Amino acid sequence: MAVEAAVGITPETGPPSSLAAFWAAFRENRGAVVGLAIFGTIVLLAIFADLVAPYSPYIQFREAVKLPPVWEDGGQAKFLLGTDALGRDMLSRLIYGARISLFIGSSVMLVSLSIGIQLGLAAAFAKGWIDTAIMRTMDLIIAVPSLVLAILIVAVLGPSLVNTIIAVTIVYLPRYVRLTRASALGELGKEYVTAAQVAGVRPLRLMFRTVLPNCLAPLIVQSALGVSEAILEAAALGFLGLGAQPPIPEWGSMLADAREFIRSNPWIVTLPGLAILVTVVSINVMGDGLRDALDPKLRRS
Amino acid sequence: MLKYLARRIALTLPTFFALMFVTFVAIRLVPGDPVEVRTGERGIAPERLAQFRHELGLDQPVWKQFLDYVGHLLTGDFGTSVVTNEKVLKEFFTLFPATVELSMMAMLLAIAIGIPAGVLAAVKRGSPFDHVVMGASVTGFSMPIFWWGLLLIMLVSERWGLTPVSGRIDLIKYYFEPITGFMLIDSVLSGQAGAFASALHHLVLPSIVLGTIPLAIIARMTRSSMLEVLHEDYVRTARAKGLSPFRVIGLHALRNAMIPVVTIIGLQIGTLLAGAVLTETIFSWPGVGKWLIEAIGRRDYPALQGGIMLISSIVILVNLGVDLLYGSINPRIRHGR
Repeated sequence: MAVEAAVGITPETGPPSSLAAFWAAFRENRGAVVGLAIFGTIVLLAIFADLVAPYSPYIQFREAVKLPPVWEDGGQAKFLLGTDALGRDMLSRLIYGARISLFIGSSVMLVSLSIGIQLGLAAAFAKGWIDTAIMRTMDLIIAVPSLVLAILIVAVLGPSLVNTIIAVTIVYLPRYVRLTRASALGELGKEYVTAAQVAGVRPLRLMFRTVLPNCLAPLIVQSALGVSEAILEAAALGFLGLGAQPPIPEWGSMLADAREFIRSNPWIVTLPGLAILVTVVSINVMGDGLRDALDPKLRRS
Repeated sequence: MLKYLARRIALTLPTFFALMFVTFVAIRLVPGDPVEVRTGERGIAPERLAQFRHELGLDQPVWKQFLDYVGHLLTGDFGTSVVTNEKVLKEFFTLFPATVELSMMAMLLAIAIGIPAGVLAAVKRGSPFDHVVMGASVTGFSMPIFWWGLLLIMLVSERWGLTPVSGRIDLIKYYFEPITGFMLIDSVLSGQAGAFASALHHLVLPSIVLGTIPLAIIARMTRSSMLEVLHEDYVRTARAKGLSPFRVIGLHALRNAMIPVVTIIGLQIGTLLAGAVLTETIFSWPGVGKWLIEAIGRRDYPALQGGIMLISSIVILVNLGVDLLYGSINPRIRHGR
């Protein structure tokens, strides 16, 4: 909501000094810097999983099943965070899980952002029935509770990693469409747009080169939050058995597998959820910092 | 006001129609032949197949099937479950009170803690209390509630033995026919000693889990809205008049700060219903969320179709209600746009 209020606020972009200004503003929010550091670490772990992870996430050590982490009684230094019910190394599965979750989060964000920008700009520029059709469709998507809609889509398409991404993308598309449309409508009335039109700038160039850059600030903030929400939503689908299927080391489905060991081996249940929480929190505090830095008027504190 | 009312309702109708269309199409896209799913037979005799197709109306043209579907929905026929052979509508409303009860408790908890926490954090801005509230709020907002539920079961129920793990009431000790469907009310009506306490006891953990995200959002929203209001002239005037800080904050500031918070609370109802799917699954809470997930597992597509149609309709209607209510409180909404 606060983001939508940003309509018409122009961020500083362009010369390199604005990057320094952005960093100076971002640095003011200490939490955001910590979030960025944690998130950066998770991204690096995900990218270099093959080098960092001690084992393959699929290897089963049958002689070392359901081991606790090394600091608990019975833990082994070979398996720092213990092993799961099939003797797979928890640490390795969590690291590869980061790769999967970040892949889901970023692909959902990129696809819904790019489709959302196009639909939003089309709605803002075309007006009339195209606008109505696009916005009513978005209203319909919003009307259905997000998880329920995702469940319906996955039930139709069948549970898999790709279908999770498709479902979550559809669920989060309306935000980007609405935000782009609202920002673009705010810009359309301004003089530089009229000037560009008078100068004979063609519609496509006007949409993407003239207007779009001035709508980016709220979109960037929404994208950061969109990644964390997509990760949560995908993990929820995985937990319900409707997302990534075993043996893929997806955090949500790891939790679902671990449910029965809640009494005997709490670590198997605790760790994947902690991974989700830490990732999502780090992205969200980073998003807060982004918002503060890009849009001083939106500051909440 | 009447014009506003009419316009808002008119805007909702196409959404309903589109929703019918989407559920109709979606269920036809589901892999597997509906006749096979229904009969559970493979390679049945062609005559029997034709008979089933006729009974299900599948031999009709698609547009006719859609009109039939819409006609059924409009007369309140949401289909029949292929697993239990019960009317979907009846099954849904048998389970729905359980979901409503859980959601209401969760929301009450979120409001009862979230608003005071947000107000205090705003008043004591920058204090350790403020930092704790904001930190907790970000964490709560980011919480994977299915894990949060498991964690609480592990600690509170298993390790400390404080709360039951699942269900709505201790079924071994208490049994009574549902009257309202709300366990808290039914347990009192049953007159059995201890039944109410047992029902309440079962509600604690699921409500905390389901209330976590709304709580975080309400606390955060209250804080920022309060901070804005505290800078307003009328608050300064009230202070200058010599009113006690309690009166200034409680009476003058809070009342105005609540407007956006009330909207947020209204918007959370859809989130609650979706969250109920996860919470009910974890706590074996016999509500519509758990039922929906089970319908997928059992390939009970009529139940899935009807259930999604019903849940979405309820969310649309509740949102419409919130909008109308809000329009009647705040004239700027009514006359704007």
